Amino acid sequence: MHMTNKSKWLGFIFVVPFLVSFLVFWLIPLLYGIWISLHDFRLSVGNNGFIGLKNYVDILTPDTIYNRTFMTSLKNTLMFIVLSVPPLILISLGLALLIEHLPKKLKTFFRTVFFLSYSISVTAVSAIYLWLFGANGGYINNILMKAGLISSPINWTGDQPYAWLVIVIATIWWTIGFNMLLFVNALDEVDGTLYEAADLDGASAWNKFRFITLPEIRNISIFVMITTVIASFNLYGQSLLITRGGPEQSTSSLIMGINTTVFGNNQLGVGSAMALLMGVIMMLITGIQYWISYKSDKDELAKPSRKERKRLKRAVNAGPTNVNQHPAATIDKKERKIT
Amino acid sequence: MRQKRIKSGILVAVASVLAVLFLFPLVWMVFTSFKTLSESLASASLFPRQWTLENYASIFSASADSNMVQWTINTAIVTLIGTVLVIFVDVLAAYALARLNIPFKKVILGIVVVALTVPGIVTLFPAFYLFKSADLLDTYAPLILPYSAGTLGVFLIYNFLRSFPKELEEAAYLDGASQWQVLTQVIFPSIKPVVTTLGVVTFLAIYNDFLWPSLVTNSDEMKTLTLGVATLVQGSNFVNPAAMMASTVVATVPALIIFLWANKYFVKGVTNSGIK
Repeated sequence: MHMTNKSKWLGFIFVVPFLVSFLVFWLIPLLYGIWISLHDFRLSVGNNGFIGLKNYVDILTPDTIYNRTFMTSLKNTLMFIVLSVPPLILISLGLALLIEHLPKKLKTFFRTVFFLSYSISVTAVSAIYLWLFGANGGYINNILMKAGLISSPINWTGDQPYAWLVIVIATIWWTIGFNMLLFVNALDEVDGTLYEAADLDGASAWNKFRFITLPEIRNISIFVMITTVIASFNLYGQSLLITRGGPEQSTSSLIMGINTTVFGNNQLGVGSAMALLMGVIMMLITGIQYWISYKSDKDELAKPSRKERKRLKRAVNAGPTNVNQHPAATIDKKERKIT
Repeated sequence: MRQKRIKSGILVAVASVLAVLFLFPLVWMVFTSFKTLSESLASASLFPRQWTLENYASIFSASADSNMVQWTINTAIVTLIGTVLVIFVDVLAAYALARLNIPFKKVILGIVVVALTVPGIVTLFPAFYLFKSADLLDTYAPLILPYSAGTLGVFLIYNFLRSFPKELEEAAYLDGASQWQVLTQVIFPSIKPVVTTLGVVTFLAIYNDFLWPSLVTNSDEMKTLTLGVATLVQGSNFVNPAAMMASTVVATVPALIIFLWANKYFVKGVTNSGIK
């Protein structure tokens, strides 16, 4: 296309609103945050001067007050990740597989039902679970007491391990629909002729899942895992509102710790350093997840199961393929990987 | 054949049990909001023995300690303007990046992708402090404007346009249409699905946002519904499940309606954002 310099810059006008917004609300805050983290910066009175890396040193030196806040809340957040990520992935995959095998007419209905709770806010979720699992007058306790299963109320939100249990259940109920939907869409994309070929070969349901479904939904599984870990890292509303970080700070998350440092201790500088450390840790973990899944992909090909895969592949090639559909489906999958 | 039918019957039964479990907290929320205070605290039955509208009346009464009406108005203003703003900013940028020969194109595209990978927490507190320094806390500005800095929308629409044939636009140019005419009369109609998706995702994201509004809002009059419910959870409704569920129903129903209405767009949007 022939374009004069003038029309080139005329087109640039279209990106100006985005660039201005990005600059003012993203890039400048990012750089300003780094700058603040290098200063003795109080929320109330502002900048007290450059102190280099002292905020970071304070946070990382054992037994300072900021070290305790950061390490405790980091440990709690990692605990939440360990507790919440496996069920958030496995149960969502289970739900997606279930939906996939339901009669066509019912699929949309159940998909909507399982996804419905994703549309409400964390404060609504917390309000509901706070009173479902309330210690005195909570609905679950009322039921358990009436049924004679317990004689005195369980302090669900104030004792461990119940406190984590409630937060994890609330989180699963709230967010699992999103993961499920990603899996449902990925399962829809799997080429049906692969299954037909495997059926002709007499493959068992487990083998079909292991050797066709899993490899085909591999990319989306990695995506689900990474986004779920990131989401769990950002734990805030549930533990603030349901357990108030308790009992004894055991559910106080990283964001809660940073919030306390900024607003409770008036230390915007230390808080900004904590936020940046948290961001770096999150990006590192994401990077490691990418790296491991890339590596395991290579290892996968060297395993003895290779024979089985080859056999299936042969079966697929020999099987009844829909000529019009098959190449298109392959191209589609390639595009998915690139974008 | 018969075996197949039995199998699918079992699967439907399992799905139905799970559906009941998933819907239970929402159903419980609705029924509890119609219970009296004493019943809501003691009852083990789902349905109210004695139906009452008292909880709803108390939320909206003049002497209520919550500003439910004002919160609803705030939420409407913030989500509607915010969503329109995001769509406007993102569509223009994505169009220029996908179709026009503009300067710094590669740099801007790089920014869009890199920004997606940076956790939001790193910009949150400095952005808050900038609004504080500009004396804009407790106004609508911080509740609306920062959402337009997100790059996901640009990314989605850019990808959509890239896979969309150029012929129509070229024909329009040959007919003497201006860039603006092409944008409004050719591009807009064709990207409607992805824009609707972005609109719904953005609407719900702003509607349900909690952490950011809690930083930039001080007074009760400026709160959104999501933030207001949090105040009630931490404050006056802490001892009254029936009243709390009534407030939660009021705060949740608009989001649920939008979600059900736009369900299919949401489903598509998740697919699009999932392809990375």
